[in-house]
Amino acid sequence: MIVQTQELTRTYRLGASVIMAVNKVNLEIKEATFVSIVGPSGSGKTTLLNLIGLNDHPTSGKVFFKNEDTSLLTNKERRKIRLQNIGFVFQTFNLLPTLTALENVELPLALAKIPLKPQREKAIQFLEAVGLTDRLQHRPKELSTGEMQRVAIARSLANNPCLILADEPTGELDSETGYEIIKLLLSLCRKHKTTVVVATHDERVAKASDVKYSIRDGMITQDSG
Amino acid sequence: MCLRNLLRRRFRTSLCIFGVSLATVFIVAIGATTTNYTTVIREMNIFFRGDVVVVAEGAMVIQAFPVIGGNIPESVVEKVQQVNGVKTAVPMLVRFGYQVEAVIQLAPSNVSIGIPSGNWSVLVGHTPLKPGGNWPSSDPDKKEVVIGSSLAKQYGLTVGSKVKMENMNLTVAGILDTQSALLSRSIILPLELAQRLYYGHTMWIGNMVVAQPEEEGTEKEVANRIEAETLGVEALTTDERNEIVEPLLHDIETWNIGISGALYLLSMILVITVAMMNVSERRRDFATLDAIGAPKSTLFRMVITETTLIGLLGGLAGIVLGSIAAILIASIYTNIPLSMFFFDLFNIVSPLLMIKILASTVAVSCIAAVIPAIAASKMNISEVLRSEY
Repeated sequence: MIVQTQELTRTYRLGASVIMAVNKVNLEIKEATFVSIVGPSGSGKTTLLNLIGLNDHPTSGKVFFKNEDTSLLTNKERRKIRLQNIGFVFQTFNLLPTLTALENVELPLALAKIPLKPQREKAIQFLEAVGLTDRLQHRPKELSTGEMQRVAIARSLANNPCLILADEPTGELDSETGYEIIKLLLSLCRKHKTTVVVATHDERVAKASDVKYSIRDGMITQDSG
Repeated sequence: MCLRNLLRRRFRTSLCIFGVSLATVFIVAIGATTTNYTTVIREMNIFFRGDVVVVAEGAMVIQAFPVIGGNIPESVVEKVQQVNGVKTAVPMLVRFGYQVEAVIQLAPSNVSIGIPSGNWSVLVGHTPLKPGGNWPSSDPDKKEVVIGSSLAKQYGLTVGSKVKMENMNLTVAGILDTQSALLSRSIILPLELAQRLYYGHTMWIGNMVVAQPEEEGTEKEVANRIEAETLGVEALTTDERNEIVEPLLHDIETWNIGISGALYLLSMILVITVAMMNVSERRRDFATLDAIGAPKSTLFRMVITETTLIGLLGGLAGIVLGSIAAILIASIYTNIPLSMFFFDLFNIVSPLLMIKILASTVAVSCIAAVIPAIAASKMNISEVLRSEY
């Protein structure tokens, strides 16, 4: 099991009211599976991914990463897990605008203190894998949205993570490009035995996944079939 | 990456660098000008150290020289000479800011010093003349003078050149080889010639007497005796002359520190504001870096480096522009052409002052970056990432 949650709950205060973003979620994500979490906007998908990705602390409940209770980890240890084991793909790509495509992919490698030469070789290799060999020196603003998401995927692969968390990866893309991105994520999952968790409201993504969860008002259910 | 981040907001970064450089310009210009001023004033105290300077009562004395005040008749010189413990009494006629016409226009800061022939060393000590020069003849009809090296350089004067002061043609007999701010801007001439120049043939007038004590360390006693035995004069020891200007110099230095401090504070506020704006605008970038595992120290360092670059660029630009401003001020203040100062830039703005100001500007920028850097590194990433959608 790569990720397991136990009664995972996250609440937010919004003025006088308390918002239950994630409500006692129990889920198990196995290695090398393609998992989709489907739900409408505001259902708690992003919050759940942030909790699984160790970007946020739960109000109650626990997240186990590779069977390790992450509530016992220090921020520095959580950061190390994020750097070495988890890749993030965001809806709005979140590429650093001042860096080229190549430099954006090199960033996690540089943070992991990989020497410059292998760093560059690896980054080029990942950009090749997402079909962007001719866009290495382009800045994000010089790329199409589909290309930007491909760079973001290449960046998420940089440190060979065992888990990729993609938050609405097709949300900003047109239908055709979105489909290609899903195919790409699926192929990476199959080829590299990487676990991919996609939060989406795109039914096509859900159909392509091995496991599908539905989330509504912070509560999750596993769909059969 | 940091430089690129700064260049992303070119106009804002340029404005911030301009603001820092503007503050630095004032710091350099004010610092250099006050430093020069106090240095010149302090340097003047080298003159007549250990001797008693006698001036008319009520005269305003800046270190060794009466700047404003009454004249002294010849009888005072004779009385001072007769005071017990006085070895020699050398009268002088010192004029600051004299008016000259025609051949050369001398600045208000220039000084002419009339001194009895043969007593040159009382004024200049061991300062030599440049090769080929001589001290002025004791015969006032020959109208010979010695001029300072800065004056000679400014007006292209050599031994034998003619200068005109107060409608009198004078001949340059020698050029003083000196770096002294006062002597290099001086015209030294026999006392009798100076008296003729300013007061006509019949008048004997001086405005100070340098009384050398017979024995070392008796300066104070000799001064007391001179004041007791000679009416209408003040006899100032080295310490007393220092005491007159020290409060003034202290005030100048305090104001300099105060103004510099205020300007550094303004720079700091400017840098904090711009850095906070940058951090606030790039919340998503910082959150992304955090999410992919960048250590807090990396985010902290990034902000510090960016503001340090602003401080460095602003400081460098400020030092260059400030040095030009300091030269302009010195040129206007002394009436010495700009071209002469450009070759003496490091005398006006010392390299040490430049390094000190640059280091301070960079340090101020670093300190200013601490709050924005903490804001960047303490960002709640999940909140930032959630609020995107």
